[in-house]
Amino acid sequence: MTDPNIALRLRNIHKHFGPVQSLRGVDLDVRVGEIHALVGENGAGKSTLAAIAYGELAADEGTVEAIGAVGLVHQHFELIGRLRVWENIILGREPRKGLRLDTQTARRSVAERASEYGLDLDVDAYVDTLPVGVQQRVELLRELERRPSVLLLDEPTAALAPDEIASFFRIVVALSTHGTAVLVVTHKLQEVLDYASRVTVLRHGSMIATKETAETSIGEIATMMIGGEIPALASRKAHDVLPCLHVTDLTAQVDDSTVSHLAMDVGSGEIVGIAGVEGNGQTAIADAILGLCDFDGSVTFAVKDPRIAAIPQDRLREAVVPGWSVCENMLLSRQHAAANAPRGWLNRTTMRQAAETVVRDFDVRPTNIDLPLRSLSGGNQQKIVVGRSLLDSPHFLLAYNPTRGIDVGAAALVQSRLIQARNDGIAILLISFDLDEILAVADRVLVLFRGEIRGTFTRATLDRARIGRLMAGGT
Amino acid sequence: MTLALLIGVVWLTFVKATPMIYAALGGTLSERSGVINIGLEGMMTAGAFSAAVATYYTGQPLFGLLIGIIGGAIVGWLLGFLATRFKVDQIVAGTGLNILCLGGAAYGLMLLFNQPGASPQVHSMGENYRYLVWLAPVAAVGMQWFLSATPWGLRIRACGENPKAVAAAGLNPLALRVMAVTMSGAFAGFAGAFLSVGELNLYSDGMTAGRGFIALAAIIFGRWNPLGAFAACLLFGLLQALQIQLQGHISWLPTDVFEALPYVAALIALVGAAGRKAAPVADGVPY
Repeated sequence: MTDPNIALRLRNIHKHFGPVQSLRGVDLDVRVGEIHALVGENGAGKSTLAAIAYGELAADEGTVEAIGAVGLVHQHFELIGRLRVWENIILGREPRKGLRLDTQTARRSVAERASEYGLDLDVDAYVDTLPVGVQQRVELLRELERRPSVLLLDEPTAALAPDEIASFFRIVVALSTHGTAVLVVTHKLQEVLDYASRVTVLRHGSMIATKETAETSIGEIATMMIGGEIPALASRKAHDVLPCLHVTDLTAQVDDSTVSHLAMDVGSGEIVGIAGVEGNGQTAIADAILGLCDFDGSVTFAVKDPRIAAIPQDRLREAVVPGWSVCENMLLSRQHAAANAPRGWLNRTTMRQAAETVVRDFDVRPTNIDLPLRSLSGGNQQKIVVGRSLLDSPHFLLAYNPTRGIDVGAAALVQSRLIQARNDGIAILLISFDLDEILAVADRVLVLFRGEIRGTFTRATLDRARIGRLMAGGT
Repeated sequence: MTLALLIGVVWLTFVKATPMIYAALGGTLSERSGVINIGLEGMMTAGAFSAAVATYYTGQPLFGLLIGIIGGAIVGWLLGFLATRFKVDQIVAGTGLNILCLGGAAYGLMLLFNQPGASPQVHSMGENYRYLVWLAPVAAVGMQWFLSATPWGLRIRACGENPKAVAAAGLNPLALRVMAVTMSGAFAGFAGAFLSVGELNLYSDGMTAGRGFIALAAIIFGRWNPLGAFAACLLFGLLQALQIQLQGHISWLPTDVFEALPYVAALIALVGAAGRKAAPVADGVPY
């Protein structure tokens, strides 16, 4: 490499998957000792670029040069839950004593490296007993074992509570001051300004710009990311809230997700947001209210025979049939409604009308309702799921991560439609791992930690910092 | 008299358990690497048949044993290859191999000896087959040690839990799986050879009699641990031994009821061990 200050140099990177062009001629330099942020919407090509820099994927065109080893901390950790911390870290580089694995040496060296980097870790713990933030330190340590001169972090804070985010970045900053070049892939713009020195923006696989973070703003970065202004949310109508959903003493368990003795109310015409880090009981609440699991306690509605709708957490597994057409998907979960099957078989006309209404109201593209759903982008698929859930004017709507993994424009539209539904008097329970979404949309916020409500806030009393602390189990 | 009977039952228990133990140890290895080995039965058949054939032509049962191991290993490698390179559904591939081995052996009998049903008699190991019986507990301890205390054991266990993590550590999970399933086939082949040139002195169609499947049940009952599988095989072996001992004494029950006993026990054991909490997370999931 010609310039000794550059640790990682990508030039003219092109990559396509089938007919989809993922990256078009991206150039990127990461300097020695800097934290460089790579931002872009979902599908902009960030993770693909990181995988190419790491050598996990081969570029169709272009060059990758790095001084020394490259480490990558994955968005979804690649750890083995039922092995111990030290076993995860030495896998593939096991110290040996004859035929045997030299357990003592392995444990000692892992513990030494952990303290060398200031990572607080119990090396004998089984990984799946550790909190997510600690698991991430394990993954980080595994990559550091290779003594990388370039460290790639793919959405490293996606699953972390605010407190854990701060302590994670303390470690990253320490690494960079010791000369490691760090590339952080993220879509959290506040973190970019707080910790990175430069930021590169990708949009639809093209590089838009590289800027010094000192000379830019969240607004400017966001505008470059989405290629326009973020649309404003619908305004919130003041009105009376009547009782709708009443939950008392709810105790339920779904896989690892548990809640105990939980009580809450959701009124018609309000959005109640449940703020919490993933894995604190959200799925148990959702499944209990929707009647998808057994539970103790009571879940009652103020109206008799309430119409209940849901935006499930996992779109592809729970909400749609990807191979069916848009129109057919629009009927899922509504197939028994009298209008759709008045004589026991499906009424094609009302089906198509409903589909066309959603496509129009939610600006779904392309507009052809006979296309298979899988040919639409994630954002457009999600618009269909949200639109469908509001079609039969439900009394109650459960929205579980309604904007996860979709682009900013589509997310803003979905959030606006939720607020409009609330204005129309629908009771909405919003469960989201995205605190910003909760703060933007909810009328009341309940903070969930380990299956218990740790705090309640109204829009007047919102306190972001305090909510963040409560989410991490603090006070 | 009673003591002699007791010793007889214990010995018979070990003899009957031995082929299942070897097959279950192999199966445990395969499943810990993340490949469900439904093909154990077929690999046992391949081992039993090739051992009998090799012994027939050389008159050396030990050589036959070696060929039996290789025969099982080849079928094991085939399953590994199908399950990794082509990501064929492991259950379907294993079932296919079972049918292939059974049919292949039957065809081989016609081709080589021109007689259906069974091979001619061959030189068996005679009394020396006892050593193979005593070797079984040693092999179980050895497998436990291999999986828990060696680098390769760690890698294989990692493969069955999360092959992506293995790849992230710079290892090749597919190669590890093929290796584990091939070894698994070698063990099953050994188990089959024990039947044809150890305990008996010929190959006959269907002589494995579902032992590969009972071994699979033993793996689950033993919670995917070699020593656990060993203990489960002893239990199934005991039932077979009792069945043989009791058959003459209780004449009003049809013998078929006794013969069904081990299989019924395997079924009950599986119901009791329900829940796959102990199973490797990525068991049966192609990478």
